[in-house]
Amino acid sequence: MKIEFWGQEFKANLWIGIPGAFLIAVLSSMFGFGGGPFMVPLMTVFMRLPMYVVVGSSLLAIFFNTLTGSLRHYGFGNFDLVFFLIMFPAAILGGFIGPRIAKRLSPIVVKRVAVVGLLILALSLLGVF
Amino acid sequence: MKNFWKLAIILMFTIAFSTNIYAEQQSVTSAETQKEGIVLQVDKKELSGGGKIIVTGKAPQGKDVYIEIWSEKNVRAARLDADPDPKTGKRPYIFYMTDEMPAFYTLIVPEKYKDVLDQAKKEGGKWSVSKVIKDAGADAVYGEPAKRKIERYQTTLWASVIGSRGTLLPPMDEKDNKRRSMQLLKAKFRSVETIFSSKLKIAQDGTFTAELDLPSNAAPGKYFILAKVDKELKSSLVTVENKVTLPNVYLSNAGRTVNLFGPFFLALVVTTFGVLMGAGGGFILNPILVLLGLPHTVVAGTVMPTVLFSQASGVYNYSKIKFINWKLGITLGLAMILGAFIGPKLTELITLAQFKFIFGWILIILAALMFWQTTPGYLEKHKKEQAILKEFKKRAEEAAKKKAEGGK
Repeated sequence: MKIEFWGQEFKANLWIGIPGAFLIAVLSSMFGFGGGPFMVPLMTVFMRLPMYVVVGSSLLAIFFNTLTGSLRHYGFGNFDLVFFLIMFPAAILGGFIGPRIAKRLSPIVVKRVAVVGLLILALSLLGVF
Repeated sequence: MKNFWKLAIILMFTIAFSTNIYAEQQSVTSAETQKEGIVLQVDKKELSGGGKIIVTGKAPQGKDVYIEIWSEKNVRAARLDADPDPKTGKRPYIFYMTDEMPAFYTLIVPEKYKDVLDQAKKEGGKWSVSKVIKDAGADAVYGEPAKRKIERYQTTLWASVIGSRGTLLPPMDEKDNKRRSMQLLKAKFRSVETIFSSKLKIAQDGTFTAELDLPSNAAPGKYFILAKVDKELKSSLVTVENKVTLPNVYLSNAGRTVNLFGPFFLALVVTTFGVLMGAGGGFILNPILVLLGLPHTVVAGTVMPTVLFSQASGVYNYSKIKFINWKLGITLGLAMILGAFIGPKLTELITLAQFKFIFGWILIILAALMFWQTTPGYLEKHKKEQAILKEFKKRAEEAAKKKAEGGK
């Protein structure tokens, strides 16, 4: 598929894009996480699109994913209103605080800490410890 | 005025006496039923945020007594039966579900069956409720969950793909319902010690004492206690009220009471960190909540919508500066809608163990991806890309501004 972005033309490989987006959406809605960290590499690395094309468009696709997934979870009765009302303000507040701290921290250090944290969580989920 | 006071006093007396008479009548009837059956008392009628209840009573001499305790509040329990049939080897793929599982249920068995419980604990994840009930001689007294209505659906691959639970099968008979209720108990409460307890001492003369620890995360409302020797011989129902006060709140779908500051600060810390690391908080928040014991279906279904609004505002901000290629976004979005239609269905079908296993591997992949993003080669490329991105954004913002001014 040919797409145009700010006067430039790009070719988007949908043979990779559509199955990839589908698979990411299944997993993301199944486990309730955002698909961003997987969608961006899919579109930049595998579909070879530049970052500036990807940021906005991937968010739009993920928004569709979150909306549909949320509605489906709600339909199956897996949405807990009280629980949501506790976490929603926290998520909004986190969205305000995060960018303000970000300026003072080195993104590489943050990412390395995150890698360690994710591995610890992964191993405890897998029952290693 | 004098008449008024007279009237008031008479009225008060009538009320006082009538309630007294009523109360006396009640205690008489309960004593009568207890005479032929089992006497059952509790040391307190009210709890606040859980606590210990001592249950005492007297049963006919030489009989084993069992005590069932369950909450008035119900939750959902579900299980996909995909175990191959031992005879034919065919997998049934029947989805069992009830919305009437007590949010709290415990069966206290006599102390002498402690070994049965210990044995089940040793079996790890493979232990079976029905085996414990059989070995502890509780088959005739296991009653409350067995009465709850369980629905069953024949699922197929196709039904999962279109995101339906499958075709509703006719209701089960009493015996089958009982058997499936045991499997659902395990699917919901998982561990031996939440469903069973052996803290029940029976003396030679038939008096018994049991201890029940209602956890602080237990549901509010009434709890029913019933002592049984067999199907017929049972005590009258005793009710205990558990109060939950702020800052503790009851999550009705999760079937648990939590201190609301817990999830709030957890979500705050995790989402803040999520912004810093550039991946949504769900990757960290969901595993922690699941490891804390909240049902994985409720965790996935409740965390997901929390980011809906920030994503919507992000889309809006990008669209204002024309930073979205609608053709690309909508095409991939449609593929994602299809995927998101199926995903939540699969959350229901998988067990907690499967949820943890797959999530564990997803996190490993994510960790690898993030590690790659800190390697020098990537950083160099990323730096260039960010510079281009910044330049483009600046131009887009200027263009949007110009247009807005021109429009005025």
